[in-house]
Amino acid sequence: MRRACAIVAFVTGLWQGLAAQGPPGPPVPTPPKSGREGALVDFTGTWVSPVMEDYRWRMVTPLKGDAASIPYRQDAVAIINAWNPAKDEAAGLQCKAYGAPALLRIPGRLRISWQDDNTLKIEADQGTQTRLLWFTSGATRAGAARGVSAVALAKADVKPTWQGQSIARWEAGQAPTAGGFALGTSARWGSRSQSLEVVTTNLRDGYLRKNGVPYSDKTTLTEYFDRFSEPDGQEWFTVTTIVNDPVHLATPFVTTTDFRREPNDAKFSPVPCSAR
Amino acid sequence: MMRMVSALGLVAILCAVTAAQQSEAPPLRVYPVQGAVSVIAGAGGNVVVQNGKDGTLLVDTGLAASAGPLAAEVRARYRGAVLWIVNTHLHPDHVGGNDAFAQADGRKPLDFLGARFDGTQPLKIIAHSNVLARLASAANGPRLSDAGLPRDEYATPFKDLRFNDEPVVLHHEPRAHTDGDTIVYFPKSDVVVAGDIFTPGGYPFIDVANGGSVAGEIAALNHILDLTVPGHTQEGGTSVVPGHGRLCDEADVVEYRDMVVIVRDRVQDLIKKGMTLDQVQAAAPSRDYDSEYVTAASFVKGADFVAAVYRSLTAK
Amino acid sequence: MRVVLAALLLAFPAAPAFAQVDVSGAWASLYHEDLPERLPGPELGDYMGLPINDAARLRGDSYDADRISIVQEYQCRPHGGDYQMRGLSNMRIDPVLDPVTQQLVAWHTRMGFQEMERTIWMDGRPHPDDMAPHTWSGFSTGTWQNNMLNVRTTHLKENYVRRNGIPRSANATFTEHWVRHGTYLTVTTVITDPALLTEPLVRSQTWVLDPGQRMGRDICEYGDEVPRERRDYVPNHLPGTNPFLHEVADWYGLPFEATRGGAETLYPEYRSKMPKPEKPKLVCERYCTCGVGANAVCLLAPTAPRPR
Repeated sequence: MRRACAIVAFVTGLWQGLAAQGPPGPPVPTPPKSGREGALVDFTGTWVSPVMEDYRWRMVTPLKGDAASIPYRQDAVAIINAWNPAKDEAAGLQCKAYGAPALLRIPGRLRISWQDDNTLKIEADQGTQTRLLWFTSGATRAGAARGVSAVALAKADVKPTWQGQSIARWEAGQAPTAGGFALGTSARWGSRSQSLEVVTTNLRDGYLRKNGVPYSDKTTLTEYFDRFSEPDGQEWFTVTTIVNDPVHLATPFVTTTDFRREPNDAKFSPVPCSAR
Repeated sequence: MMRMVSALGLVAILCAVTAAQQSEAPPLRVYPVQGAVSVIAGAGGNVVVQNGKDGTLLVDTGLAASAGPLAAEVRARYRGAVLWIVNTHLHPDHVGGNDAFAQADGRKPLDFLGARFDGTQPLKIIAHSNVLARLASAANGPRLSDAGLPRDEYATPFKDLRFNDEPVVLHHEPRAHTDGDTIVYFPKSDVVVAGDIFTPGGYPFIDVANGGSVAGEIAALNHILDLTVPGHTQEGGTSVVPGHGRLCDEADVVEYRDMVVIVRDRVQDLIKKGMTLDQVQAAAPSRDYDSEYVTAASFVKGADFVAAVYRSLTAK
Repeated sequence: MRVVLAALLLAFPAAPAFAQVDVSGAWASLYHEDLPERLPGPELGDYMGLPINDAARLRGDSYDADRISIVQEYQCRPHGGDYQMRGLSNMRIDPVLDPVTQQLVAWHTRMGFQEMERTIWMDGRPHPDDMAPHTWSGFSTGTWQNNMLNVRTTHLKENYVRRNGIPRSANATFTEHWVRHGTYLTVTTVITDPALLTEPLVRSQTWVLDPGQRMGRDICEYGDEVPRERRDYVPNHLPGTNPFLHEVADWYGLPFEATRGGAETLYPEYRSKMPKPEKPKLVCERYCTCGVGANAVCLLAPTAPRPR
């Protein structure tokens, strides 16, 4: 009798486990062949950021010494207060505020396209800057995340640049798991992500704002690009920018910038960097 | 001049009423408010119902054209007879159904003590005495039969009664949207029925021809705020049922009151500068509120509201 | 033993797999953008970055901050559902589960400040009709789009988009897009107000997971802060009389026109048309170190030595 009960219970549990799979959820993604192929959403096109936040720190060059909202370390104060745009111009450092950690905060337009199947290109008209987002293997991603870009990257001995080296991936979702067969383990919801994650290292030291609030060459920049559409048909993306600078920032500096798609690039107007 | 204005105002009201009557009546919608109180929308003005073991009390009766469906809805949904009608003011979208309910009541003969020979309770229609005076004179307002007039009038600052085990307090609001406004307070259900003193989707119609004034309108809104007690985080609590539009609470009345006061202040300032009505209207002192309170279908446009404020501030 | 084992198996049935992300938890707001405006509060006349129309601008110009003291009903007024995500407060998000099916019915948010609460219904229920009361938080429904929670909110009471008198009308609606990346939650809010905005106002905020957070009570009681002159008094500036509107431009060395807001001022091309400041400045004197270290509460004077 006991054996019969155990068999019935086992079969019932097995049946529930199989029957309760329900309708097929999102398929567990197989590794895509290329970055372009793996895209769940489309970032290509021309985008503009209407400046509805941080207006007086973005639309105009903020006043010298104005570092409000930025969690900088006290030892950055001297650098902030020493900002001298004429000196930057003389040294050919007009683009110091146009590095990857700050570029998308400058009011301007972006033109995004696939340079090839594994490189997403972001052109910014402000400062005529170009960022290349590489979709590469896991090994180089891990290297980039640790900031060991010079060794782990496919191209060795790359000098730091304003835009650094950006490793991109479509953020991994979470595979669903069915439970019921191991004690204490319940099923897990799966999730599929449509976010683009970019980790950038190998940056030259630059400015978080045009008035000289600094970030160092030890900075790691992590960004998440998220697309959405509005009921009125407008298409947007929000980029969450996380600047980790162990030298000048007390905590990660996190900002979010919103871009709206434009019908064409008629208003994409390249202008050179300016130190003022 | 005032007679022409009041005549024009009456024509405007009657035109709006006629248009409403001629178009297909919108379906009635019934919403519970709080306690024993519910509201029926779609009959013209909001019709408020308090119902219980004693029967049904209505606040206002909507348009005459909607009286049939309204009476049918009340009969179907609420037990007991309609024993009280309280009219908040004289406008046809609030008293239009009086005749129909009075007819349904039958108006049976009463004995010398005012009781019916058959023992049933007669329908009582009550409003402030200024409402009765204006309706009975037929100079302003809709024509009602004698049975539909609010003959159980009151002339004191307030009148109370108890119905369905709940106090019902009628407050006269002097010279507000008209000179006969009543707000009805149900303390146990925690509901204030504001009539057209408060119409959240549009400017108040300050009916100067029928004794309305902006000072009285503001005082009436303040009185509503005296009666209301909000719930947690300043919302909910006492429900406020407006003459037209959605269910509200104290916070909604505050915003509305502030709007009326601010526009009043601006018009007052322009009057002090010696401006005529045309000049004041050209200055558009309500222009920052027009986009919220005026639509293509609005009865009171910005210029109309400003004119009413101007007239009530300059009235001798 | 086998019977016991089998019984336990029955207690842990498998469940279907659907795409969802867990946004529950205790969250602390990061104020790395617009901190002076969001915490100590915006300056009078600062309409920068807002796509407002003339009506909203006049409402802001007419605003007298005494109003929130003298009009006692405003003293304990909480933020609207849209502004809650922007203003002062930490947040706790709890799932609301159907007790029978254990399926998610809603997300419930609670803010520490003024105990503001919202429910985001996830069960497909429709929004109520136009007779329903409007509330501070509005009526919200949400749907998942892969890892993004899209929320739509209607039935809002009148509130504000900035706490210096720029209102947001009761005719407005807003959408939100919530995405969680590890310990960060980004919420993008899109406010559409046909009465007061010429285009949607889009702002995004980030929260960081804060598991140790304890949220207590915040019970507000109004009081007589400033004597009221008379019952029909609501503090306001008559049109053209507000003496404070140039302050923000003068304090920060900005062109006055730019501080007046409007859609035209939001786009990159405005920089080439922007007039010069009437009172230019070179050095920050106000809220320079706001939010940093000892100045977390935003003293006006910078704690750091003034730049030369």
